[in-house]
Amino acid sequence: MLSFSSSQYYVLKYHTLKWFYHYPWAEYAEYDTLSPMTEQEDRRDISLRDMFLVFLKIGTFALGGVYSMLSFFEKELVERKKWLTHDEFIESVAIGQMTPGAPVVNTGICIGYRLRKIKGALATTIGQIFTGTVLAIILAAFYIRTKDNPLLRAVLKGVGAAVVGLLLSVIFKMAKQSVRDYRTGLFAVVAFVSLALFRLNPIGLIIASGLIGFVVFRRDNL
Amino acid sequence: MILLKFCGVLFMVNALTIGGGFAMLPLLHKEFVERYHWLTNQEFIDAFAVGQITPGPLTVMNAFIGFKLHGLSGAILAVVSSYLPGIIIVTLTAKYYYAYRESTIVTSAFKGIKPAVIGLLAAVAVSLGTTSLVDAGTLVIALASFTIITFTKIDPTFIILGAGLIGAVLF
Repeated sequence: MLSFSSSQYYVLKYHTLKWFYHYPWAEYAEYDTLSPMTEQEDRRDISLRDMFLVFLKIGTFALGGVYSMLSFFEKELVERKKWLTHDEFIESVAIGQMTPGAPVVNTGICIGYRLRKIKGALATTIGQIFTGTVLAIILAAFYIRTKDNPLLRAVLKGVGAAVVGLLLSVIFKMAKQSVRDYRTGLFAVVAFVSLALFRLNPIGLIIASGLIGFVVFRRDNL
Repeated sequence: MILLKFCGVLFMVNALTIGGGFAMLPLLHKEFVERYHWLTNQEFIDAFAVGQITPGPLTVMNAFIGFKLHGLSGAILAVVSSYLPGIIIVTLTAKYYYAYRESTIVTSAFKGIKPAVIGLLAAVAVSLGTTSLVDAGTLVIALASFTIITFTKIDPTFIILGAGLIGAVLF
Protein backbone atom coordinates (compact mmCIF):
# COMPACT_ATOMS: atom_id res chain seq x y z
CA MET A 1 0.00 0.00 0.00
CA LEU A 2 1.11 3.57 -0.56
CA SER A 3 2.11 5.71 2.33
CA PHE A 4 2.97 9.37 2.62
CA SER A 5 4.68 11.54 5.16
CA SER A 6 2.60 14.41 6.49
CA SER A 7 4.61 17.03 4.60
CA GLN A 8 4.07 15.17 1.38
CA TYR A 9 0.43 15.04 2.22
CA TYR A 10 0.16 18.78 2.66
CA VAL A 11 1.85 19.44 -0.66
CA LEU A 12 -0.68 17.13 -2.24
CA LYS A 13 -3.54 18.77 -0.47
CA TYR A 14 -2.40 22.12 -1.79
CA HIS A 15 -2.30 20.86 -5.36
CA THR A 16 -5.65 19.16 -5.04
CA LEU A 17 -7.28 22.35 -3.88
CA LYS A 18 -5.61 24.50 -6.48
CA TRP A 19 -6.78 22.13 -9.10
CA PHE A 20 -10.15 22.10 -7.51
CA TYR A 21 -10.38 25.81 -7.63
CA HIS A 22 -10.94 25.82 -11.37
CA TYR A 23 -14.27 24.14 -10.94
CA PRO A 24 -17.75 25.49 -10.31
CA TRP A 25 -18.03 23.74 -7.02
CA ALA A 26 -14.88 25.40 -5.74
CA GLU A 27 -16.95 26.67 -2.84
CA TYR A 28 -16.60 23.22 -1.42
CA ALA A 29 -12.89 23.60 -1.05
CA GLU A 30 -11.97 24.55 2.47
CA TYR A 31 -8.30 24.80 2.95
CA ASP A 32 -7.81 24.19 6.62
CA THR A 33 -10.34 21.58 7.42
CA LEU A 34 -9.21 18.78 5.14
CA SER A 35 -7.80 15.76 6.87
CA PRO A 36 -6.18 12.82 5.09
CA MET A 37 -8.52 10.38 3.49
CA THR A 38 -8.14 7.19 5.46
CA GLU A 39 -8.20 3.70 4.12
CA GLN A 40 -11.65 2.57 5.01
CA GLU A 41 -12.87 -0.90 5.77
CA ASP A 42 -16.02 -2.36 4.32
CA ARG A 43 -18.96 -0.58 5.96
CA ARG A 44 -21.19 -3.55 6.50
CA ASP A 45 -23.59 -1.47 8.57
CA ILE A 46 -24.68 0.29 5.39
CA SER A 47 -26.84 -1.99 3.31
CA LEU A 48 -26.49 -2.09 -0.47
CA ARG A 49 -30.22 -1.64 -0.70
CA ASP A 50 -30.05 1.66 1.20
CA MET A 51 -27.22 2.83 -1.01
CA PHE A 52 -29.17 1.96 -4.11
CA LEU A 53 -32.24 3.81 -2.83
CA VAL A 54 -30.37 6.97 -1.86
CA PHE A 55 -28.68 7.15 -5.24
CA LEU A 56 -31.95 6.37 -6.96
CA LYS A 57 -33.33 9.43 -5.20
CA ILE A 58 -30.34 11.51 -6.23
CA GLY A 59 -30.52 10.32 -9.83
CA THR A 60 -34.23 11.00 -10.02
CA PHE A 61 -34.67 14.34 -8.31
CA ALA A 62 -31.36 16.12 -8.61
CA LEU A 63 -32.09 17.83 -11.87
CA GLY A 64 -29.96 20.65 -13.01
CA GLY A 65 -26.32 21.36 -13.35
CA VAL A 66 -23.39 19.76 -11.67
CA TYR A 67 -23.50 22.25 -8.85
CA SER A 68 -27.04 21.48 -7.77
CA MET A 69 -26.34 17.75 -8.12
CA LEU A 70 -23.38 17.98 -5.80
CA SER A 71 -25.13 20.03 -3.16
CA PHE A 72 -27.89 17.44 -3.28
CA PHE A 73 -25.28 14.69 -2.81
CA GLU A 74 -23.81 16.43 0.16
CA LYS A 75 -27.15 17.04 1.83
CA GLU A 76 -28.13 13.39 1.50
CA LEU A 77 -24.86 11.60 2.15
CA VAL A 78 -23.02 13.87 4.55
CA GLU A 79 -25.74 15.67 6.45
CA ARG A 80 -28.65 13.24 6.53
CA LYS A 81 -27.16 9.76 6.27
CA LYS A 82 -23.74 10.63 7.70
CA TRP A 83 -22.11 7.96 5.55
CA LEU A 84 -19.19 10.25 4.70
CA THR A 85 -17.46 13.20 6.24
CA HIS A 86 -17.36 16.47 4.36
CA ASP A 87 -13.69 15.90 3.48
CA GLU A 88 -14.28 12.42 2.16
CA PHE A 89 -17.04 13.84 0.05
CA ILE A 90 -14.78 16.54 -1.40
CA GLU A 91 -12.15 13.99 -2.24
CA SER A 92 -14.70 11.80 -3.94
CA VAL A 93 -15.78 14.79 -6.02
CA ALA A 94 -12.16 15.44 -7.00
CA ILE A 95 -11.70 11.83 -8.05
CA GLY A 96 -14.97 11.92 -9.96
CA GLN A 97 -13.80 14.96 -11.87
CA MET A 98 -10.35 13.75 -12.81
CA THR A 99 -11.41 10.35 -14.13
CA PRO A 100 -12.87 9.79 -17.59
CA GLY A 101 -16.62 9.54 -17.97
CA ALA A 102 -19.45 11.51 -16.40
CA PRO A 103 -18.06 13.25 -13.28
CA VAL A 104 -21.22 13.00 -11.21
CA VAL A 105 -21.59 9.28 -11.90
CA ASN A 106 -17.93 8.83 -11.10
CA THR A 107 -18.34 10.65 -7.80
CA GLY A 108 -21.11 8.18 -6.99
CA ILE A 109 -18.93 5.23 -8.00
CA CYS A 110 -16.15 6.51 -5.78
CA ILE A 111 -18.45 6.94 -2.79
CA GLY A 112 -19.97 3.50 -3.36
CA TYR A 113 -16.54 1.96 -3.57
CA ARG A 114 -15.38 3.67 -0.37
CA LEU A 115 -18.39 2.39 1.54
CA ARG A 116 -18.87 -1.14 0.25
CA LYS A 117 -16.09 -1.80 -2.29
CA ILE A 118 -17.06 -3.00 -5.75
CA LYS A 119 -20.60 -4.04 -4.78
CA GLY A 120 -21.19 -0.56 -3.43
CA ALA A 121 -19.87 0.99 -6.63
CA LEU A 122 -22.36 -1.07 -8.64
CA ALA A 123 -25.24 -0.21 -6.30
CA THR A 124 -24.63 3.54 -6.53
CA THR A 125 -24.12 3.49 -10.30
CA ILE A 126 -27.28 1.55 -11.01
CA GLY A 127 -29.27 3.67 -8.58
CA GLN A 128 -28.06 6.89 -10.09
CA ILE A 129 -28.72 6.06 -13.73
CA PHE A 130 -31.87 4.01 -13.26
CA THR A 131 -34.61 6.60 -13.70
CA GLY A 132 -32.93 8.47 -16.54
CA THR A 133 -32.19 5.27 -18.45
CA VAL A 134 -35.72 3.92 -18.12
CA LEU A 135 -37.12 7.27 -19.26
CA ALA A 136 -34.70 7.42 -22.17
CA ILE A 137 -35.75 3.94 -23.29
CA ILE A 138 -39.43 4.87 -23.09
CA LEU A 139 -38.78 8.06 -25.04
CA ALA A 140 -36.79 6.10 -27.62
CA ALA A 141 -39.65 3.65 -28.14
CA PHE A 142 -42.02 6.57 -28.51
CA TYR A 143 -39.59 8.41 -30.78
CA ILE A 144 -39.17 5.53 -33.20
CA ARG A 145 -42.90 5.18 -33.59
CA THR A 146 -43.80 8.85 -34.00
CA LYS A 147 -40.69 10.25 -35.62
CA ASP A 148 -42.53 11.54 -38.66
CA ASN A 149 -45.44 13.03 -36.78
CA PRO A 150 -45.55 16.74 -37.76
CA LEU A 151 -46.26 17.92 -34.21
CA LEU A 152 -43.28 15.99 -32.83
CA ARG A 153 -41.11 17.35 -35.66
CA ALA A 154 -42.17 20.88 -34.71
CA VAL A 155 -41.38 20.24 -31.04
CA LEU A 156 -38.01 18.76 -31.94
CA LYS A 157 -37.22 21.69 -34.20
CA GLY A 158 -37.56 24.03 -31.22
CA VAL A 159 -35.68 21.62 -28.99
CA GLY A 160 -32.85 21.23 -31.49
CA ALA A 161 -32.32 24.98 -31.59
CA ALA A 162 -32.34 25.26 -27.81
CA VAL A 163 -29.85 22.40 -27.56
CA VAL A 164 -27.40 24.23 -29.82
CA GLY A 165 -27.77 27.28 -27.56
CA LEU A 166 -27.10 25.08 -24.55
CA LEU A 167 -24.01 23.64 -26.19
CA LEU A 168 -22.69 27.12 -26.94
CA SER A 169 -23.28 28.08 -23.33
CA VAL A 170 -21.34 25.03 -22.13
CA ILE A 171 -18.48 25.88 -24.48
CA PHE A 172 -18.49 29.47 -23.24
CA LYS A 173 -18.36 28.44 -19.58
CA MET A 174 -15.70 25.77 -20.14
CA ALA A 175 -13.58 28.21 -22.12
CA LYS A 176 -13.76 30.73 -19.29
CA GLN A 177 -12.37 28.06 -16.97
CA SER A 178 -9.65 26.39 -18.95
CA VAL A 179 -8.54 28.77 -21.68
CA ARG A 180 -6.28 30.94 -19.58
CA ASP A 181 -3.41 31.96 -21.85
CA TYR A 182 -2.30 31.80 -25.47
CA ARG A 183 -1.07 28.23 -25.12
CA THR A 184 -4.34 26.79 -23.88
CA GLY A 185 -6.11 28.97 -26.45
CA LEU A 186 -3.98 27.44 -29.16
CA PHE A 187 -4.95 23.94 -28.02
CA ALA A 188 -8.61 24.88 -28.39
CA VAL A 189 -8.20 26.51 -31.82
CA VAL A 190 -6.06 23.70 -33.24
CA ALA A 191 -8.52 21.08 -31.99
CA PHE A 192 -11.41 23.01 -33.54
CA VAL A 193 -9.70 23.35 -36.92
CA SER A 194 -8.54 19.72 -36.94
CA LEU A 195 -12.05 18.47 -36.40
CA ALA A 196 -14.15 21.04 -38.24
CA LEU A 197 -11.93 21.46 -41.30
CA PHE A 198 -9.68 18.42 -41.52
CA ARG A 199 -12.18 15.93 -40.03
CA LEU A 200 -9.46 14.24 -37.97
CA ASN A 201 -10.45 11.59 -35.47
CA PRO A 202 -11.44 13.23 -32.13
CA ILE A 203 -10.23 10.25 -30.08
CA GLY A 204 -6.82 10.67 -31.67
CA LEU A 205 -7.01 14.42 -31.08
CA ILE A 206 -7.72 13.95 -27.37
CA ILE A 207 -4.86 11.52 -26.98
CA ALA A 208 -2.55 13.85 -28.92
CA SER A 209 -3.58 16.88 -26.85
CA GLY A 210 -2.85 14.90 -23.70
CA LEU A 211 0.62 13.98 -24.97
CA ILE A 212 1.40 17.50 -26.18
CA GLY A 213 -0.04 18.88 -22.95
CA PHE A 214 2.38 16.74 -21.03
CA VAL A 215 5.31 18.06 -23.05
CA VAL A 216 4.23 21.72 -22.92
CA PHE A 217 2.87 22.03 -19.38
CA ARG A 218 5.14 19.54 -17.62
CA ARG A 219 7.26 22.29 -16.09
CA ASP A 220 4.40 24.52 -14.99
CA ASN A 221 3.27 24.63 -11.42
CA LEU A 222 -0.37 23.96 -11.82
CA MET B 1 -21.55 -7.21 -35.34
CA ILE B 2 -23.00 -3.71 -35.31
CA LEU B 3 -23.83 -4.21 -31.66
CA LEU B 4 -20.27 -5.24 -30.87
CA LYS B 5 -18.87 -2.22 -32.68
CA PHE B 6 -21.40 -0.01 -30.93
CA CYS B 7 -20.32 -1.28 -27.51
CA GLY B 8 -16.69 -0.93 -28.47
CA VAL B 9 -17.19 2.71 -29.48
CA LEU B 10 -19.06 3.54 -26.27
CA PHE B 11 -16.50 1.80 -24.09
CA MET B 12 -13.63 3.58 -25.75
CA VAL B 13 -15.29 7.01 -25.70
CA ASN B 14 -16.20 6.67 -22.02
CA ALA B 15 -12.74 5.46 -21.12
CA LEU B 16 -11.03 8.34 -22.90
CA THR B 17 -13.01 11.50 -22.28
CA ILE B 18 -12.18 13.67 -19.35
CA GLY B 19 -14.24 16.76 -18.68
CA GLY B 20 -17.77 15.54 -18.33
CA GLY B 21 -20.60 14.21 -20.42
CA PHE B 22 -20.32 17.07 -22.88
CA ALA B 23 -16.74 16.21 -23.70
CA MET B 24 -18.01 12.94 -25.16
CA LEU B 25 -20.23 14.61 -27.73
CA PRO B 26 -17.52 15.23 -30.36
CA LEU B 27 -16.37 11.63 -30.17
CA LEU B 28 -19.85 10.15 -30.25
CA HIS B 29 -20.81 12.46 -33.10
CA LYS B 30 -17.80 11.43 -35.13
CA GLU B 31 -18.34 7.70 -34.62
CA PHE B 32 -22.12 7.46 -34.74
CA VAL B 33 -22.95 10.08 -37.33
CA GLU B 34 -19.92 10.47 -39.55
CA ARG B 35 -18.13 7.17 -39.51
CA TYR B 36 -20.81 4.52 -39.13
CA HIS B 37 -23.90 6.52 -40.16
CA TRP B 38 -25.98 4.91 -37.44
CA LEU B 39 -27.68 8.23 -36.76
CA THR B 40 -28.42 11.32 -38.82
CA ASN B 41 -27.38 14.70 -37.52
CA GLN B 42 -31.01 15.35 -36.60
CA GLU B 43 -31.30 12.10 -34.65
CA PHE B 44 -28.11 12.92 -32.82
CA ILE B 45 -29.56 16.27 -31.78
CA ASP B 46 -32.74 14.53 -30.61
CA ALA B 47 -30.72 12.02 -28.59
CA PHE B 48 -28.77 14.86 -27.01
CA ALA B 49 -32.01 16.62 -26.12
CA VAL B 50 -33.35 13.43 -24.51
CA GLY B 51 -30.15 13.14 -22.48
CA GLN B 52 -30.69 16.70 -21.30
CA ILE B 53 -34.34 16.51 -20.30
CA THR B 54 -34.12 13.15 -18.52
CA PRO B 55 -32.89 13.20 -14.93
CA GLY B 56 -29.43 11.89 -14.24
CA PRO B 57 -26.31 12.29 -16.34
CA LEU B 58 -26.18 13.25 -20.01
CA THR B 59 -24.74 9.80 -20.77
CA VAL B 60 -28.30 8.51 -20.47
CA MET B 61 -28.53 9.51 -24.12
CA ASN B 62 -26.47 6.42 -24.92
CA ALA B 63 -29.37 4.24 -23.79
CA PHE B 64 -31.61 6.18 -26.17
CA ILE B 65 -29.22 5.61 -29.05
CA GLY B 66 -28.80 1.94 -28.13
CA PHE B 67 -32.54 1.43 -28.13
CA LYS B 68 -32.86 3.14 -31.48
CA LEU B 69 -30.20 0.88 -32.99
CA HIS B 70 -31.11 -2.45 -31.49
CA GLY B 71 -34.11 -2.31 -29.17
CA LEU B 72 -33.93 -3.14 -25.49
CA SER B 73 -30.80 -5.26 -25.74
CA GLY B 74 -29.06 -2.37 -27.47
CA ALA B 75 -30.07 -0.01 -24.69
CA ILE B 76 -28.87 -2.35 -21.95
CA LEU B 77 -25.56 -3.02 -23.69
CA ALA B 78 -25.15 0.72 -24.18
CA VAL B 79 -25.57 1.30 -20.45
CA VAL B 80 -23.11 -1.44 -19.53
CA SER B 81 -20.44 -0.29 -21.94
CA SER B 82 -20.93 3.36 -20.94
CA TYR B 83 -20.42 2.90 -17.23
CA LEU B 84 -18.05 -0.07 -17.07
CA PRO B 85 -14.95 2.03 -17.88
CA GLY B 86 -15.90 4.48 -15.13
CA ILE B 87 -16.36 1.73 -12.58
CA ILE B 88 -12.99 0.17 -13.41
CA ILE B 89 -11.04 3.42 -13.54
CA VAL B 90 -12.66 5.13 -10.56
CA THR B 91 -12.23 2.17 -8.23
CA LEU B 92 -8.57 1.91 -9.22
CA THR B 93 -8.11 5.65 -8.78
CA ALA B 94 -9.80 5.63 -5.38
CA LYS B 95 -7.31 2.97 -4.35
CA TYR B 96 -4.23 4.81 -5.54
CA TYR B 97 -5.57 8.33 -5.22
CA TYR B 98 -2.51 10.10 -3.89
CA ALA B 99 -0.03 8.64 -6.32
CA TYR B 100 -2.32 9.50 -9.20
CA ARG B 101 -3.02 13.01 -7.99
CA GLU B 102 0.61 13.87 -7.58
CA SER B 103 1.65 12.70 -10.97
CA THR B 104 2.76 15.55 -13.26
CA ILE B 105 1.91 13.39 -16.22
CA VAL B 106 -1.77 13.46 -15.34
CA THR B 107 -2.04 17.14 -14.43
CA SER B 108 -0.08 18.42 -17.43
CA ALA B 109 -1.92 16.12 -19.83
CA PHE B 110 -5.23 17.43 -18.45
CA LYS B 111 -4.11 20.95 -19.03
CA GLY B 112 -3.81 20.17 -22.73
CA ILE B 113 -6.91 18.00 -22.98
CA LYS B 114 -9.33 20.47 -21.41
CA PRO B 115 -8.93 23.30 -23.95
CA ALA B 116 -8.76 20.78 -26.80
CA VAL B 117 -12.13 19.40 -25.74
CA ILE B 118 -13.54 22.92 -25.99
CA GLY B 119 -12.32 23.21 -29.57
CA LEU B 120 -13.82 19.82 -30.42
CA LEU B 121 -17.13 20.79 -28.85
CA ALA B 122 -17.18 24.00 -30.87
CA ALA B 123 -16.75 21.96 -34.05
CA VAL B 124 -19.70 19.78 -33.07
CA ALA B 125 -21.78 22.85 -32.28
CA VAL B 126 -21.10 24.12 -35.79
CA SER B 127 -22.13 20.80 -37.33
CA LEU B 128 -25.29 20.51 -35.23
CA GLY B 129 -26.05 24.19 -35.78
CA THR B 130 -26.11 23.81 -39.55
CA THR B 131 -28.72 21.08 -39.14
CA SER B 132 -30.99 22.68 -36.59
CA LEU B 133 -30.66 26.43 -37.19
CA VAL B 134 -32.54 26.66 -40.44
CA ASP B 135 -34.56 29.86 -40.16
CA ALA B 136 -34.99 33.02 -38.11
CA GLY B 137 -37.20 31.29 -35.55
CA THR B 138 -34.68 28.59 -34.68
CA LEU B 139 -31.89 31.15 -34.61
CA VAL B 140 -33.78 33.26 -32.08
CA ILE B 141 -34.50 30.19 -29.93
CA ALA B 142 -30.82 29.20 -29.95
CA LEU B 143 -29.72 32.72 -29.01
CA ALA B 144 -32.30 32.97 -26.25
CA SER B 145 -31.33 29.55 -24.92
CA PHE B 146 -27.64 30.49 -24.91
CA THR B 147 -28.33 33.77 -23.11
CA ILE B 148 -30.64 32.32 -20.48
CA ILE B 149 -28.46 29.31 -19.70
CA THR B 150 -25.27 31.35 -19.56
CA PHE B 151 -26.49 34.25 -17.50
CA THR B 152 -29.20 32.87 -15.25
CA LYS B 153 -29.46 29.88 -12.94
CA ILE B 154 -32.53 28.45 -14.63
CA ASP B 155 -32.22 24.71 -15.19
CA PRO B 156 -31.50 23.87 -18.87
CA THR B 157 -34.16 21.16 -18.68
CA PHE B 158 -36.85 23.83 -18.52
CA ILE B 159 -35.32 25.80 -21.37
CA ILE B 160 -35.36 22.75 -23.61
CA LEU B 161 -38.90 21.80 -22.64
CA GLY B 162 -39.97 25.40 -23.18
CA ALA B 163 -38.32 25.48 -26.59
CA GLY B 164 -40.23 22.30 -27.50
CA LEU B 165 -43.46 24.03 -26.53
CA ILE B 166 -42.58 27.11 -28.57
CA GLY B 167 -41.71 24.83 -31.47
CA ALA B 168 -45.11 23.13 -31.27
CA VAL B 169 -46.85 26.50 -31.44
CA LEU B 170 -44.56 28.19 -33.94
CA PHE B 171 -43.54 25.66 -36.56
